[in-house]
Amino acid sequence: MSADAERTTPRGGLSLTMLRYFVMELILVALILVLVVAAPGFASLPNLLNVLRAVSMLGIIAFGMTAVIIAGEIDLSVGAGAALAGCILGWTCGALTDSIGPWPAVAIGALAAIAVGIGCGVFTGKMRQWFNVPSFITTLAMLAGLRGIANLISGGFPITSFPKGFNFLGAGNVGGVPTPVFFFLAVFAAMHVLMKYTSFGRAVYAVGGNAEASRLSGIDVYGTKTLALAITGGLTALSGMLIASQIGSGNGTAATGMELNVIAAVIIGGTSLFGGKGRIWGTLLGVLFLGCINNGMVLMNVSEYWRLVVSGATILAAVLLNQVLERGIKR
Amino acid sequence: MRGAIEFRDVSKAYDGTLALSHFSHAFAPGRVHALMGRNGSGKSTAIKILAGAVQPTSGTLSVNGHEVSFATPSEAFAVGIVTVHQELSLVPSLSVGENIFLGRLPRRGRFVDWSELHRQAAALLTEMELEIEPRRLVETLSLGQQQMVEIVKAMSFAPSVLILDEPTSALAAREVQHLFDLVRRLKARGVTVIYITHRMNELFELADTCTVVRDGHYVGTIEISDATPAKIVEMMFGDVAKASRPARRAVNRSNPVLSVRQLTRAPAFTDISFELYPGEVLGMAGLLGAGRTEVLRAIFGADPLEGGEISFAGQRVERPTPKRMKALGLGYTPENRKEVGLVQMAAIHDNLILASLDRIARAGFTNRARETPSVTRQIRDLGIKVADPRLPVSTLSGGNQQKVVIGNWLNTAPKVMFFDEPSRGVDLQAKQQIFEIMWAEAEAGLSSIFVSSELEELLDVADRILVLHHGRLVAEVTPETTNLTELYQLCMEGHP
Repeated sequence: MSADAERTTPRGGLSLTMLRYFVMELILVALILVLVVAAPGFASLPNLLNVLRAVSMLGIIAFGMTAVIIAGEIDLSVGAGAALAGCILGWTCGALTDSIGPWPAVAIGALAAIAVGIGCGVFTGKMRQWFNVPSFITTLAMLAGLRGIANLISGGFPITSFPKGFNFLGAGNVGGVPTPVFFFLAVFAAMHVLMKYTSFGRAVYAVGGNAEASRLSGIDVYGTKTLALAITGGLTALSGMLIASQIGSGNGTAATGMELNVIAAVIIGGTSLFGGKGRIWGTLLGVLFLGCINNGMVLMNVSEYWRLVVSGATILAAVLLNQVLERGIKR
Repeated sequence: MRGAIEFRDVSKAYDGTLALSHFSHAFAPGRVHALMGRNGSGKSTAIKILAGAVQPTSGTLSVNGHEVSFATPSEAFAVGIVTVHQELSLVPSLSVGENIFLGRLPRRGRFVDWSELHRQAAALLTEMELEIEPRRLVETLSLGQQQMVEIVKAMSFAPSVLILDEPTSALAAREVQHLFDLVRRLKARGVTVIYITHRMNELFELADTCTVVRDGHYVGTIEISDATPAKIVEMMFGDVAKASRPARRAVNRSNPVLSVRQLTRAPAFTDISFELYPGEVLGMAGLLGAGRTEVLRAIFGADPLEGGEISFAGQRVERPTPKRMKALGLGYTPENRKEVGLVQMAAIHDNLILASLDRIARAGFTNRARETPSVTRQIRDLGIKVADPRLPVSTLSGGNQQKVVIGNWLNTAPKVMFFDEPSRGVDLQAKQQIFEIMWAEAEAGLSSIFVSSELEELLDVADRILVLHHGRLVAEVTPETTNLTELYQLCMEGHP
């Protein structure tokens, strides 16, 4: 083992690592070039801003999900959680606008929605810590349960109790740039710094890479996992409220199936579902990749069914590519 | 000659290292042969070759007078060589009978013939004079009974050679006697038994011959009737050259830095009390399963404690957790560094600051530049051979990986370190370097507890040695007043 391991040339290893690091960038650039040529109107500024608006809600959650997956966990409840947040906000506005005015009601509703989102993440983490229930199971249960609660709150109908001007957050522009894009970029920057430049972020990688080694190094394994889940819960609520603002209502059926796209973006971005590896930057690329390919297919009049087939194939191809490159590095 | 085995000049190399070197020996049929040697001596390699689990690099193996070459374990099986491994291979949720005939259940037409299966199983169990109901689930049996079932299963193949790999390590005394009766019955039927053990008393009770391997070489074979424990220890350990140990200042034994009272978690360990003094290297000796690692992990808070008191630097510790103990100044390098000492996929850099992230970060924020001094200091001080600290730690050799684990903890500026088998699986040079690190740190005031299965290492490295036996602290010795034979005797028997 000893001599053999040391013979692995660092040079070859590093250059392959470089390839793995930049392969997603190369693929995204290639995709954009193809779409510029093949999809009519793709390269126009309004369309590109449209792509950014479309991916913002997805991306905000995906940055949190990246931390969760690196920590070796998963959150399947983000679509339902986003719908719940919109409904909580709508219900609060409906209930409080008359007594305390529209904007204070929005503020209280937003705080409540974010608190519930964080609470769901903490709940998942504690189920793992105290009862050893895998996050896959807890969040699968919440995927059904939270959407049920969202519909119970809304009574099955969209809640349109937002004040005038609230749709600015989800559907408006600042200097021509869609408002959600600012949230998207802010969350990207915050999560990038959090994962790379804080001891918490580094602990997330360690915990996902080897939970027992981390525990024996005196790292709070479950605390770290729970915090990652709680952050994602909070970001899910933020995203859900932006969606509600965009569509103008709190809706129990909003964001259905969103968890699949979020996880797809994270995985396309090179994060390992086994934990311990991944980058926020990669997820940004994954999110943009999904946005571009969907937008391009719409512009090319590809049917919705084919778009689903392509999405599925894309996820599989991304994972295969990562596995092949990984094997290359090991050899 | 049914059951005769002969190794002729057999060698096995792993990655250029000879695990077994020109091993030649004939095991006579129908006898019980003990095979002894320390961990890593090559005895497991010899057994694996015989069982077909690995193939020899050179040399030949003969069974029943015919030269054989096994490509897989099932080929060894086919000529009647059956192995019972230390780890049981039964399916706990299935019945005893089903386990015995797993993969070859008797059938009537396309369906399992349960009554026939249980009849045959019952016949086998009675033949071995075991009172176990074949319909019972294996998970309801004691460990000893499971071991018996495993042997019955092996016997159902009517083997001519039975290999037992440390079969008594998990058994209670009464169960050991049952097992011995079983082995004697097999011997009476002409089965050749190869018996691997670390326990000297079993050797004299059961074996006919004892063959010793050391560092991959055949040392010799003696008839048990001619042997003494001292003679066998001498064969196992040879004349050991003392490691060059620096002169140590006397340890000041007025104020212990760590003191434990009546630590208990039955059955792993019971009533353990000892003190560790500043700058002392305290050795811990004992056989596998004596409770050394369990005690250290419990003090470190990695495993629960049932009772007892821990005082660290004069301060009572109520409920230890690794995080709390780290904050107090305790570090622990685990025995299985590959699995739980390192994050293999992470960089060397990251592994060197795993435990000290919170110390290095300011207000939770950190970056490479802030971390690099800690990383380079350990690489330099411990002499870790590293091409680039950004490479995964899995690219390093065993000795260098061990140094990374130690460096990770030295970065937390510990007062006390627990080194659990730090020399396991590292080459001689790295071993010496690791001991030099321990001495240098002790000189600088670090107190440490050093666990090793290599007794001569304990005698070389430690200031004082505690001996554990079946979870109890049975002796305290100093290297000046004991020797290898005495220490080995203490580890095995629990008394001088």
